[in-house]
Amino acid sequence: MSSRNPQRTGFLFALPALLALALLIVYPLLHTAALSAMDDSGRYVGSRNYERIVASSVTLAALWNTFYYVGASLVLQMTIGAAVGIMLNQKFRARGLARSLILVPWIVPGIVAATTWAWMFHSEFGIVNYMLQTAGVVDGPVGWLTSPQLVLPSLIAVNVWKMFPFVAVMVLAGLQAVPDSRYEAARMDGANFMDEVRYVMIPHLRPILFAITLLLLIWGLNGITLIYAMTKGGPANRSLITPIQIYKQAFEFFRFGEAAALSVMFFGVVLVLIAIYIWLLGRRSET
Amino acid sequence: MAALGQRSRLIYLPVSLAVATSLFPFAWMALSSIKTLRELYTVPPAWLPQAPTFVNYWKVLTESNIPRYFLNSLVISTGSTVIAIALAIFAAYGFARFRFAGKAWCEAFVLIGQLLPTAAIIVPLYIVLGKLGLANTWLGLILVYLILTLPLSVWMLIGYFSAIPVELEEAAIVDGASRVGVLTRITLPLSLPGIVAVVIYAFVTTWNEFIFALCLATDSRAKTLPIGLSEFSTEFNTDWGAVMAASMLMTLPVIAMFLAMQRLFIDGLTAGATKG
Repeated sequence: MSSRNPQRTGFLFALPALLALALLIVYPLLHTAALSAMDDSGRYVGSRNYERIVASSVTLAALWNTFYYVGASLVLQMTIGAAVGIMLNQKFRARGLARSLILVPWIVPGIVAATTWAWMFHSEFGIVNYMLQTAGVVDGPVGWLTSPQLVLPSLIAVNVWKMFPFVAVMVLAGLQAVPDSRYEAARMDGANFMDEVRYVMIPHLRPILFAITLLLLIWGLNGITLIYAMTKGGPANRSLITPIQIYKQAFEFFRFGEAAALSVMFFGVVLVLIAIYIWLLGRRSET
Repeated sequence: MAALGQRSRLIYLPVSLAVATSLFPFAWMALSSIKTLRELYTVPPAWLPQAPTFVNYWKVLTESNIPRYFLNSLVISTGSTVIAIALAIFAAYGFARFRFAGKAWCEAFVLIGQLLPTAAIIVPLYIVLGKLGLANTWLGLILVYLILTLPLSVWMLIGYFSAIPVELEEAAIVDGASRVGVLTRITLPLSLPGIVAVVIYAFVTTWNEFIFALCLATDSRAKTLPIGLSEFSTEFNTDWGAVMAASMLMTLPVIAMFLAMQRLFIDGLTAGATKG
């Protein structure tokens, strides 16, 4: 497009937003890095904060919980979400209504999801225990959020409930871009429904599935709300994930230096994931 | 076609199951919010309220800080959305219509902003807001929420602007319109559906946000609804009826907004993923 000085004009348009982001993101990041090498009175202490964090047994446990929580959530969100997306792509009556209703968990604020599920998981008055007891699945009331073994699986279930609609909608959008001729060709070859899923839908969806996976991964690594509101990382740190550990170091124990050191390490890990994402995204648009 | 017909009847079972799973917690929240305390705390739980009551809502609206937090949430979400959209319109237009040195880097920077772990910057934000006197203020949270809304808005709008034929704008420029004139009089009206989708997304994101508010709004001048809700339920003796009523009050605006603009919202959301 012709313009007197397109080089400068484009940049000038983008400049205010870039400046705002730099102030809101780059500056705090640099500040985090600086804090991570200081004690609470602002004196330089080198790597002492890092050593303390790495030496703490909580750090490793939280890291393990993070991988477990994010990994299991991701697998279930993708599987269930893709299945529901494929299902919603079929022709049936009231399809539009089903598509909107299914999105409710994703629209509901995270804190509302957390409190509602906490109420449903209530060991004495909760509806979950009542339903499972009626169905004969469990003998007595189960402490879903208080049992060390059950707390993470319970939280994962809530997280899957919250996010599978997002996957379903994205998969649905992807499927609607598949030309009908592809299905017709497959049916001519005698393909049944599962063959269509395998040979027509999945190959077509691959780029979208890939993008969603990384988005969910990063959101999962950020996702404090559900866990913090339901268990605060308990019982006995059994549901403590790294972002909550950062929050607790800073705002419960007021160890800003250690919180910053942990933030830097956590950011490093997430940055690697983002770099892979952008790299693969770039490769995808080139081909 | 016979196979398809058969399939379409079979599909109602899984569809009903998925819809029921999605809606059940929301329905349970609604039912619990109109139950009396006695009914909430009975074993076994009653499915339907025997004597529906709005006493929980009355309690939330008159005896708690929720109305104040509702106002805070409204001002902060609106403020942040307006600023984000204004900045994003210009940035996205610059990215969609011009080539300039370092453009790829600038775009990557915006994307990183969207994917940044918030936990990594929360401590400095807390310190800096305190120093600037912006802790516990509407303005402080409005600015902080740009971190969440701005990158996303830029990213979604680039897609919309790119889809508008360049020829329309070129014609206007030939007729002597300025760049900003082209943007406001041609590009914006044509991408109105996209703008609406981005506005909803930005508003809902800030309305729902919890962690920034938890750390940066520590008194009732700036606390938002999510914080109010967590305070209800962290007290030793949780009043679940009030919690569910407050949850309903907090959820209904976003659900209503979403249902009203659903088509636009979903199209806007999925545009990026399917076109990329």
